[in-house]
Amino acid sequence: MLAVVRKQLRNHPALIPLFIFIGGGATMSMMYLARLGLRNPDVCWDRKNNPEPWNKLGPTDQYKFFSVNMDYSKLKKDRPDF
Amino acid sequence: MAHPSQLGFQDAASPVMEELLHFHDHTLMIVFLISTLVLYIIMAMVTTKLTNKFILDSQEIEIIWTLLPALILILIALPSLRILYLMDEVNDPHLTVKALGHQWYWSYEYTDYNNFGFDSYMVPTQDLTPGQFRLLDVDHRMVIPTESPVRVLITADDVLHSWAVPSLGIKMDAVPGRLNQTAFIVSRPGIYYGQCSEICGANHSFMPIVVEAIPLKHFENWSTLMLENS
Repeated sequence: MLAVVRKQLRNHPALIPLFIFIGGGATMSMMYLARLGLRNPDVCWDRKNNPEPWNKLGPTDQYKFFSVNMDYSKLKKDRPDF
Repeated sequence: MAHPSQLGFQDAASPVMEELLHFHDHTLMIVFLISTLVLYIIMAMVTTKLTNKFILDSQEIEIIWTLLPALILILIALPSLRILYLMDEVNDPHLTVKALGHQWYWSYEYTDYNNFGFDSYMVPTQDLTPGQFRLLDVDHRMVIPTESPVRVLITADDVLHSWAVPSLGIKMDAVPGRLNQTAFIVSRPGIYYGQCSEICGANHSFMPIVVEAIPLKHFENWSTLMLENS
């Protein structure tokens, strides 16, 4: 399978950028989905040992992928303890 | 508010809406350039007498027309994702207002310090006074202070509604049994109109939203007045 692709690439090198972009896009999507599945506090995998992970967030936790203007390290906790 | 035969967005009244406007300008410019190029190529193809029956392939042009669109898409995607995350940021609100959708009016509750609330019905067309806008004006507007982060908690009493104010760049569904949160900062004083954006029955088009932004000092006068009257 890989040998066939390599032969085609040698004859048509213009396909290389295509592989790079499509492969990169698919990789980034899968990685983001994995991040959402494993790191998102709304997702619960283990109902017995970790039943409600959304209750374990601290005041300085940033669970979103990217923060534009917020400096999460400066936030203080202003709620009573659960 | 919207003007007759308006084509573009309404003027922005909040920083997020300004960002959305600039992003829209950026993306639309790219779209116009690409469309103009394609139209030119089509015209050139259709009006030429030159023909070449023996071209099979070309690696160079294939590389160019793979790399260039990918680059353009990245140039669109990066600002887009930045705005997406910007819209979701928690910004330590100074005030929380609750907006409840009913059939067919909105009610607003200000419960931070002292409890008061009021209903906001559309002014019927036959009761309009000169200068009021048909199907947009309401009897009691939602008043908020300018330049203060405001959180709005939106829910519904009966069926789905949606609380939308285009000039602030906000639309959030009002779902019965669920509390949705959105936040905004109004940059300048003024009156901003919106309409219910989820079909909710016979008078879905007749339950508008009006946000009035005034400086904080006047807002405190207004809330004291509302408290005394309720």
